[in-house]
Amino acid sequence: MLLLQLIINGIQVGALYGLTAVGFSLIFGATKIFHFAHGASFAISAYVFYYLYAVLLVWWPISILAACIVVVVFGIALDRYVYGPIQSTDGSFFTIFVGSFGVAVVIQNLIGTIFGRGFISVPSALSKSVELVPGLYVAPTAGIAVVAAVTCFVALQLFLSKTNIGIALRALSESPGLVRTFGLNPRAVSTCAFALGSVLVVPAAVLTSMTSGLNAAIGGRVMLISVAATIVGGVGSLRGAACAGLLLGIAENLALWRFDPQWSEAVTFLILFAFIVLRPSGFFGRVVTS
Amino acid sequence: MFAYLVNLATLVCINAILAITLNFIMGYAGIFSLAHAVFFGVGAYVAAFIALQWTDSLLLQLLAAMIVAGLISAALALPALRVRGDYFVAASLGFQVLAATVFSEWKSVTGGIGGLVGVPPASIGGHAFGDPVEFLGLAAVTLALVVVLTTAIVRSSLGRSLKAIRDSESAALAFGKNVALIKTLSVFYSASICAVAGVLYADYLGFINVESFTIDASTLFMAMVIVGGIGTVWGPIVGAVLLTLLPAALTYLPFLPRTEIGSVQQMIYGFAMVLLMIFKPDGLMGVKRGEA
Repeated sequence: MLLLQLIINGIQVGALYGLTAVGFSLIFGATKIFHFAHGASFAISAYVFYYLYAVLLVWWPISILAACIVVVVFGIALDRYVYGPIQSTDGSFFTIFVGSFGVAVVIQNLIGTIFGRGFISVPSALSKSVELVPGLYVAPTAGIAVVAAVTCFVALQLFLSKTNIGIALRALSESPGLVRTFGLNPRAVSTCAFALGSVLVVPAAVLTSMTSGLNAAIGGRVMLISVAATIVGGVGSLRGAACAGLLLGIAENLALWRFDPQWSEAVTFLILFAFIVLRPSGFFGRVVTS
Repeated sequence: MFAYLVNLATLVCINAILAITLNFIMGYAGIFSLAHAVFFGVGAYVAAFIALQWTDSLLLQLLAAMIVAGLISAALALPALRVRGDYFVAASLGFQVLAATVFSEWKSVTGGIGGLVGVPPASIGGHAFGDPVEFLGLAAVTLALVVVLTTAIVRSSLGRSLKAIRDSESAALAFGKNVALIKTLSVFYSASICAVAGVLYADYLGFINVESFTIDASTLFMAMVIVGGIGTVWGPIVGAVLLTLLPAALTYLPFLPRTEIGSVQQMIYGFAMVLLMIFKPDGLMGVKRGEA
């Protein structure tokens, strides 16, 4: 029964990891920017939600909406004012990585200064566990996490395959030159990728604030998981990132069966390490945007 | 005041060694490691453990720390051989996180979160370096040796091979360079000299715990290299001086609460990294690419 409990916890966590990783993978696939500050986006939206909902007692849909708006503005601003200028002079991986990493460091410390470095969590009736079968506890948040992840993923796939902007996004990941030839502005498409990729962290950020809580350093953790899921799933494959996120979540929780919780990040790393050494192309090989 | 300055100068020397060794793999081999604090920590823990259990002989501690760090560097060399750039940064980040967990959990060796306390001063041939000024001399001499050795390697055929691999791995391979061996050797060198800085650190402070060897430390070392100028001889040293003196300078700002100095410092260098990448990606001491 403990095993089943751990698997269910793992699915809850993994669904959210998958969603965050899909956002990262979408940005990376379309713009080739290794967006290390994706974890910072996560932290920002989580803290905005926390501050509005738990401190100012704003109605929850408005709090979530505000978190979405702030995180989208953050993503677009980064693209416009940090990545854009860097790409126009020197687009090497290294300069973009350092710029992005610098942003992540600044945001983490800003949050630490404003909200303190301790753990905070949003009190909510949704995270109270109910005993489904004897010995098996499930909170409503688990169901919400899975439903939110599946809904967002299906909506994203529809968006990418049916709308013009979605098709342009996929085109940008294939060939930026050709996008320009067809009269589209790659910068505008890139802005769109950042808006979409950033907003995908919101469900995970909100639910995490209710379940396991937040601290200022959470961005770094999210960043590691997103990057790991993207690489394990196969770079450029959204389906791969989602599956790998789920896998990492389950593996992390299953590890609790035998090890102390502080080793959960080590599990993530070992999986990543194994993939990098044995199969650097990930689950889904070199499929570009599934 | 004099003691304070000696303390700062010693820390500058230690950090400069760290920045130089990180610059060696970042600037010349193109391996962007976020796990440099791991080897710093390994050096410090090995030295402290040996000093507490067996001997205060500095040379023995150095030898042991270099060997252990060099062996562990294989864990970094392996992914570096398989993937480049972004992927490797992710792998090194994960390695750093794993190592920090080991440092804080392996209580019988590392003393857990509390760390190792009361490390006796190191000695060479029976002469103990207990006096801070003498220790500064030791650190400065070590720094000078590291600068000379690293510069010599960079200018040797190994250094030229490294730069060739950084600029084009396939071209270097086509010219018959043993890319795998050269990369492994450079990571080995970087890690073992980095451990030397760790030994000095443990012997100097007499107290170490995991907080000095976390991802924050790795970030700081990377910031030193980047701010100073990657792939240059003086860049990492300039970066180490600036970023080591920054927190000391911040304490002179009266309106800043003491508890926030750490995060203000991180915000400043995080911001400096962003601005540098936008306006001067080669760092303060940087030269145009291709001339280096």
